[in-house]
Amino acid sequence: MSYYLSTIVVYFGVDVLAAWALNIQFGWAGVPNFAFIIFQAIGAYAAAVVSLGPDSGANSFQRYIVGANLPFPLPLLVAGVAGGALALIVGVIATLRLRRDYQAAVFLLIALIASQVVSGDVGLFNGSNGLAAVPQPLAGALSSLSLGQYQWAYAGFTTVVTVAVLLVIRRIGRSGWQRALRASRDDEAAAGALGLNVAAMRMQVFVVGGVIAGLSGGLLVGFITAWSPGGWGYAETFAILTGVILGGVSNDWGVLLGTFLVQIVFIEVPSFLPEFGYPGLIDKLEWIVIGFMWLAVLILRPRGIIPERRYRAKLESGAEDARYKLPAGVGVGGS
Amino acid sequence: MSTVFDRGQEQPKGDAAAAERTLLDVLDVRVRYGGVEAVSGASLQILAPQIVGLIGPNGAGKSSLLAAIGGQAPVAGGTVVVDGHEVTKQPAYKRARLGIVRTFQTASVFERLTVFENLMVAGVGHPGASLTRAFFPSAALGAAAETARVEALRVLEELDITGMRDTYCSDLSGGQRRLVEIGRCLMCSPRLLLLDEPMVGVAPHLVRRIGETCLRIRDSGVAIVIVEHALEVIEEFCDRVVVMAFGEVLDDGSYEDVMKNGSVRDAYLA
Repeated sequence: MSYYLSTIVVYFGVDVLAAWALNIQFGWAGVPNFAFIIFQAIGAYAAAVVSLGPDSGANSFQRYIVGANLPFPLPLLVAGVAGGALALIVGVIATLRLRRDYQAAVFLLIALIASQVVSGDVGLFNGSNGLAAVPQPLAGALSSLSLGQYQWAYAGFTTVVTVAVLLVIRRIGRSGWQRALRASRDDEAAAGALGLNVAAMRMQVFVVGGVIAGLSGGLLVGFITAWSPGGWGYAETFAILTGVILGGVSNDWGVLLGTFLVQIVFIEVPSFLPEFGYPGLIDKLEWIVIGFMWLAVLILRPRGIIPERRYRAKLESGAEDARYKLPAGVGVGGS
Repeated sequence: MSTVFDRGQEQPKGDAAAAERTLLDVLDVRVRYGGVEAVSGASLQILAPQIVGLIGPNGAGKSSLLAAIGGQAPVAGGTVVVDGHEVTKQPAYKRARLGIVRTFQTASVFERLTVFENLMVAGVGHPGASLTRAFFPSAALGAAAETARVEALRVLEELDITGMRDTYCSDLSGGQRRLVEIGRCLMCSPRLLLLDEPMVGVAPHLVRRIGETCLRIRDSGVAIVIVEHALEVIEEFCDRVVVMAFGEVLDDGSYEDVMKNGSVRDAYLA
């Protein structure tokens, strides 16, 4: 049970990171990133190939690029950089010149193409078999720990990273930049007509989301020690997005709650249920439930369980604006 | 009490004709959508401070000309010059930073933002609207945000919409949305305000309020172009009228002179 719980904590941390990353792209900026899972995947692959060492000797059963042997936490940092770099490339293709409805289609196509390329080109990340035997972070230094203790240590580390990312998101989420993003989400032309460089802001948030997604992939592959195309099909994006929409788009706590409900309650807990029907029926039912849940939320509570926060104006002269923390002594007199 | 309309502009107030200067020079501008030419070589000058009514039948090219000036439509030919700077190829956000601010034919409010937030988004210099400043907010940023907050409250008061400051814009009526749009433009400290049919769907008392607001904005030194079908609005609030038909400027002058022009009447009746 302890093993299972620690696994759940790691998965939940990784899922929440992914959901927050997608939320700042979709919830704040309105970018329908249906290719989101590929940014988590590139983070996982990047962390794997810079920690596996050369694809010879013990790793001769698999083929991959780079083959470095970087110490912890560098693979994790590389994962974040890889996610951000891929977001920059994909962002140029998909977000700069296309209307939102076309963007959604392009993202979906990019996810399908990425999966086919990685599966087909065995020299990249060992094709459809994927990478295995990825070293666990600090496994040598923590060799005195039992498996269960190491699991909990990793769960604790994942929680620390998750909280750190939350603090970063909360910080930038209190800025005029975030408000400008939400404005451009609601009406791009009007935002541009007010002097906001919508394309640049959208690219920025897309890259920030890509970095967080890559980081989540790096964390996950360090825990499960394997990664293959079968684990990052385009449908995974919809599971993450369902959590965002169910919990409340553009609300950090709502996204946390939605992710818990979708990823833990509806995807993880059913694995405890006794098998019934034909083999794999429970897995299929999970996706049916997720689909219906999405529909139900859109129809019954389109703003989610915890809707986007309403930012109220502060009337007092010199008072803190709802979005800014003013340094002591800073304030402008009212009329 | 100082108002949003007297923020230190150098132009004299009240006597609009006293210090008029050319703010916008549109020369032989063409706008094409696919194979359709919406504006076919239109030229006009806009002086500041002045309210110019842009009228013409449906499909005359009025909104397209506004979009060409504001940067929302690509200019296929001709030039747009603002205060000596050619902006023909510049994107809309750069033109807005030069002081060309506009409203749209359909009121374009940010629906999931409150009225107050709609104004704050447009705060002069967009306090905090950069990723770097979002990560590392400074004391100067805090002061700029506070200035924008005070300014937003003033604009709310001027437009008499303080009571709805915390209302989501999705919950506003058409007329209220128009006021928010205009308030947002005021937050940008515009030099040239382009209003595309601001009175459509607006209750009569709000029409008067918007019109009087335009007069006060003009008196603070701003040039305004209003696209409008209601001729009584044009007659009452505009200093000058430009008539468009078939993508071209048909006439340009005072309301009385323009209405005497037979081809203008023909264009409207066509």
